[in-house]
Amino acid sequence: MNLLRTYILPRLLQWVMVVFVGITATFLIPRLSPVNPVDEMLARMTAFQSMDPDSFAAMRESTIALFGLDKSPIEQYITYWSRLLQGDLGPSFGNFPRPVSDIIATALPWTIGLLGTATAISWTSGVLLGALAGYYHNRRWAQVIERFVVVAYPIPYLIIAFVLILIFAAWLQWFPLVGGARGDPGFNWEYISSLLYFGFLPALSIVIGATAFRFIMAKSLTTTEIASDYVQYAELAAVPKRKIMLYYVARNTMLPQVTDLALSLGAIFEGALITEVVFAYPGIGFITYNAIYNGDYNVIMGVTLLSIVGIATASLLIDLLYPVFDPRVRLR
Amino acid sequence: MGTIIETNNLRAYYITKAYGVERTVKAVDDITLRIQEGEVYGIAGESGCGKSTLLRVLLNAYEPPLTVVGGEVIYHLDGERVDAADMTEEHQRDLRWRTISYIPQGSMHVLNPVRRIRDSFHDFISAHRDVSKSESFELTANYLRDLGLPEKVMASYPHQLSGGMRQRVTIALATILWPKLIFADEPTTALDVVVQRGVIQMLKDVQQKEGSTLILITHDIGVHANLADRIAILYAGKLVEEAATQTILENPRHPYTRFLIESLPSLDSREERLSIPGRPPALDRPPSGCRFHERCPLAMDICKTIEPALIEIAPKHFTACHVVEEELSHASAV
Ligand SMILES: Nc1ncnc2c1ncn2[C@@H]1O[C@H](COP(=O)(O)OP(=O)(O)OP(=O)(O)O)[C@@H](O)[C@H]1O
Ligand code: SF4
Ligand SMILES: [Mg+2]
Repeated sequence: MNLLRTYILPRLLQWVMVVFVGITATFLIPRLSPVNPVDEMLARMTAFQSMDPDSFAAMRESTIALFGLDKSPIEQYITYWSRLLQGDLGPSFGNFPRPVSDIIATALPWTIGLLGTATAISWTSGVLLGALAGYYHNRRWAQVIERFVVVAYPIPYLIIAFVLILIFAAWLQWFPLVGGARGDPGFNWEYISSLLYFGFLPALSIVIGATAFRFIMAKSLTTTEIASDYVQYAELAAVPKRKIMLYYVARNTMLPQVTDLALSLGAIFEGALITEVVFAYPGIGFITYNAIYNGDYNVIMGVTLLSIVGIATASLLIDLLYPVFDPRVRLR
Repeated sequence: MGTIIETNNLRAYYITKAYGVERTVKAVDDITLRIQEGEVYGIAGESGCGKSTLLRVLLNAYEPPLTVVGGEVIYHLDGERVDAADMTEEHQRDLRWRTISYIPQGSMHVLNPVRRIRDSFHDFISAHRDVSKSESFELTANYLRDLGLPEKVMASYPHQLSGGMRQRVTIALATILWPKLIFADEPTTALDVVVQRGVIQMLKDVQQKEGSTLILITHDIGVHANLADRIAILYAGKLVEEAATQTILENPRHPYTRFLIESLPSLDSREERLSIPGRPPALDRPPSGCRFHERCPLAMDICKTIEPALIEIAPKHFTACHVVEEELSHASAV
């Protein structure tokens, strides 16, 4: 009960605040910006064909009315919310009149699949390997792993991606260069295996850097942890090393890692812009790139809203789960 | 009752090297002592005089930069004489908790914050005995009850316990397997007076139950007065006086010991006592001769150059001081 009042409710409230402020900001920013999206859109539409000034003005009027920009800001704001709550993000300018929500809904599973898997793999392996290498820092294998990571970590992402493409797609030709999958979507081996086949290189390119990052974080947390009084004491008492590693070291280094996982999970909803562009992977990052390129305002807005809600929700979930991991939060 | 642990001319230095400059801290320098089975042996001295260092070497739990550069530590366990330096890692792990145990200094943080007390007990017990979880829990519950600790601490996490309770739980954790030899480093420091009394009583109970040997380190002479059978006074890495507790309290001979005893607040007068003038010397360049000479009101010329030997001035009363030695030779000459 106490936990509900002092821990859970404040966090729910915080979520509501973050989402509210974020959505309001996305409403205000384009309206305060000197560029008028309607003019920009019309300019693009009329770029390759001339139009007489009268019908241009008429079209401008009707577009403004279509977007409700002729109403007062308050009215617009209310309409904005009521449409959002119905899941209506407006039409895409680039693929008029396809709804933005439809575009995002198509792209989202790709991104969640790719980044979700990559995050799960890199988090788990980074945390475990880092803890092992930190705990058994005198062993040869631990030093070899660390040497590897220290070299891999600073390599810029684009270089990793291109090297992977050169080796596996161009030279060995084990994996495809671009694309998301092959065949008709369905729950059959052919489709699923093609998902893995196409997703492998993009996922690997992300996993390398992300694992290295986790590893470095886990190792330094472990180094602090093994110097702690309770680990030293358990070692002195000749508690088996495996037990110390698991219940004393890894268990404690996991706490900050769990919090940090929230940020990685939230970031999934932004998509992986560079990865998806490099591998032409049809996820959120890819549509964002195209939307920016085409000045597709509504799509950019939609992705922004999605990432605001995504990050806020992921942090909320982790916050709510955190007491399960840390008794000091659960039992006060 | 024989000797259970002894040191002979033990020297343990911290040898560090930073930017090519070697620094040697002579934290334990030429200490010889014999501790009897079943006694409470108190070790006292100012902060930084090498108490914890001595303890870690006695416990055979030290690593660089701390290095034993001379002398030896000998255990006498089950009629066997074991040189600590020759012990295998395995033998060592075997002895821990079952035979030799340790209550650490500042034991506020020695309990794993994310583990329930009973699980910590199970970790420590099962490391040495083939027991199931429920057997460990039962053993723990019985032991805690014997020591008068509430049973509900079993299911608690460390942060839910008060400082005093955590210290008691730690003492229970250290002694759950009835070790013969218990080392305790400042077990009552950082506790308030009332809680201290409870902890002292608990240590007494634990020690008396099985007649364990307790090696008790604290700078607090009051705690020694309550618990110790014999007291050793350490000054700047040297053993300067050793005698039965009563002798140390009532008839201290070494000038440093006298200061220590006189600076004790007595029960009837609560006024602030004089503290010892000056500061303890740095142990990387200890003073020549008697290490106390810079602060000693009785210092003579010889004190600056020649180190006094530890001599037996009365039965089982040892002290290392030129003035005391001189008085003694005068007395015997008369
Ligand atoms: N790791 C270390 N490296 C170098 N010198 C050290 C190290 N640890 C302790 N020393 C030095 O060794 C000397 C003895 O330290 P020790 O901890 O044994 O003192 P102590 O009597 O237990 O003091 P306290 O009452 O403060 O616990 C001190 O001068 C200290 O500065
Ligand atoms: S030997 Fe000299 S300096 Fe040292 S305690 Fe005795 S009188 Fe003082
Ligand atoms: Mg100490």
